[in-house]
Amino acid sequence: MSVADALWRFPSAMMAWRNLGRNRMRTALAALGIVIGVVAISSLGMAGVALQQQATSNLGSLTNQVSVSAGQDSDYDGVTEDQVEEIRSIITDAEVIPQKSNSTTVSSRGQEAYVSVTGVTNAAALYDVTSGEAPERLQTGALISNSTARELGLELGDPVEYDGQLYRITGLIDSGSGFGPGGGRGELVIPISGLADQEHYDSVTIIAADGDAATEISETLDEHFNTDGRDEEEILRVSSYASAQENINSFLNTLQLALLGIGGISLVVASVAILNVMLMSTVERRGEIGVLRAVGIRRGEVLRMILTEATFLGTLGGLVGAGCSLVVGAVMFQLVVGDPTGVLQWASARYLLYGFAFAVFASVLSGIYPAWKAANDSPVEALRG
Amino acid sequence: MSVIELDDVVKRYESGAQTVTALKGVDFHADRGEMVTIIGPSGSGKSTMLNMIGLLDTPTEGTVHLDGRNVTGFTEDELTEERRTTLGFVFQDFHLLPMLSAVENVELPSVWDTSVDRRDRAIDLLKRVGLGDRLDHTPDELSGGQQQRVAIARSLINGPDILLMDEPTGNLDQDTGRTILEEVTRLKEEENIAVVAVTHDEQMLDYTDRTVRIVDGVIQS
Repeated sequence: MSVADALWRFPSAMMAWRNLGRNRMRTALAALGIVIGVVAISSLGMAGVALQQQATSNLGSLTNQVSVSAGQDSDYDGVTEDQVEEIRSIITDAEVIPQKSNSTTVSSRGQEAYVSVTGVTNAAALYDVTSGEAPERLQTGALISNSTARELGLELGDPVEYDGQLYRITGLIDSGSGFGPGGGRGELVIPISGLADQEHYDSVTIIAADGDAATEISETLDEHFNTDGRDEEEILRVSSYASAQENINSFLNTLQLALLGIGGISLVVASVAILNVMLMSTVERRGEIGVLRAVGIRRGEVLRMILTEATFLGTLGGLVGAGCSLVVGAVMFQLVVGDPTGVLQWASARYLLYGFAFAVFASVLSGIYPAWKAANDSPVEALRG
Repeated sequence: MSVIELDDVVKRYESGAQTVTALKGVDFHADRGEMVTIIGPSGSGKSTMLNMIGLLDTPTEGTVHLDGRNVTGFTEDELTEERRTTLGFVFQDFHLLPMLSAVENVELPSVWDTSVDRRDRAIDLLKRVGLGDRLDHTPDELSGGQQQRVAIARSLINGPDILLMDEPTGNLDQDTGRTILEEVTRLKEEENIAVVAVTHDEQMLDYTDRTVRIVDGVIQS
């Protein structure tokens, strides 16, 4: 009783609440429409965020890397020592790591595995080890990918052979994650001296501070070595993953807009349902509203009462919808990113807010016409029923 | 001075291509402490007349004075304000809101006026119509006679000058109708208000001070 007494101080809210309680089934069904709309908007929005995060984490550290290899107009089949020196002289604030690569079959204890071989000096900058270590100056040891080591039964400290030379495994690296060089296949990393019979470098990796710096570096190099226009010449092929990520992001943004659009349509449908319910219930209550008007309830008060009903419907549906979306979002993040708490970050949680706000907004909008109609009905006509 | 006065009121309706004249120059007045009953066959214009007196409808011609003030040209919002402060309505079908308790129904006309201490007055009014023990009952828990008493209490919440009743005993059995009319007569004297009723009910004439007969939109007596 005390709650009702407190509510009586806000008569529009009280009347609206009681009116909604009169036909619970209809109220529940109207709110269900809103719930579905909110779940559609919120979870599709959050799906977009989850996909984006997954794409970003797959590209991982590659986004700050620039990769340089011989272009189609180069006179050499690789990047020459002179060109590496030239790059080093232009790019002073980033790590420049030349690499040679090949592929071979590694055998051990009767098992064979086909791997790509990378010769590099600064292994520490390029590889993350899961056990052992990646030295900054790789001179005698070797790194091998986890999967290959498992396949061949190799452990840290075991020797592997390449081109008649034995190397001791000093570290195991993650294999096959992402789509960087050598992704998918097993990888063997040895000192650059092991590939001395190849004169030129196959590629040069430049590690910048971040994606923006990487983009800048790749533009600088492209301008320096290559010419555009009519006699276009590509001496060095310069590519950075930052632009790849930009492309992916812009695609995902488009996808997300499309998803939100679909979600929005379902909320529009829901608000039409609310319009219908509100219209029905004001038509049914026409005589009652006539009585209210006859006993001196102002038009604005009737209007407010019915708008409050619509607002309550929207708020109710919006809250339940946001709750359901939170669960759906957590499941989605678990499946896509592998971490259900990701849903709580602002980037995705804001879609709960958007969905809720849109629900309330759409409901109020749908309530305007029925409320206006009821408030402006002539009391005499309304009393006649 | 009359609390309500109609002077030569004409009301015409456009009904399709036809024009129906419901009231053809009606003069009427009611004073405080007086109960006036309007009788007449159906279609005679008595409901239209009650709507004019109740400020629910505006005349096509003629003037309406409320407490000496000419309210003929009032806007809908001004008329609403007059209905709220000066008039009380009792309907044949009681017209209580089903989702509100008796005391909440009584408070209803004043509920948007936060300044008024209406709860005490509502309880007092329900006690005066003999429903002091039914305050929290909803309409479907009350008999027809009890519902009509709640409606009478509701019509008095804002301290009106005029009580308008449209067939107040129409949905009640004879005994209940009689007790309701006794109640109204007592309240009329206690509150010193004018009561204007439209009815078919013969027994109502026993309680009335004056009877006005209307036929075909014209007052007969």
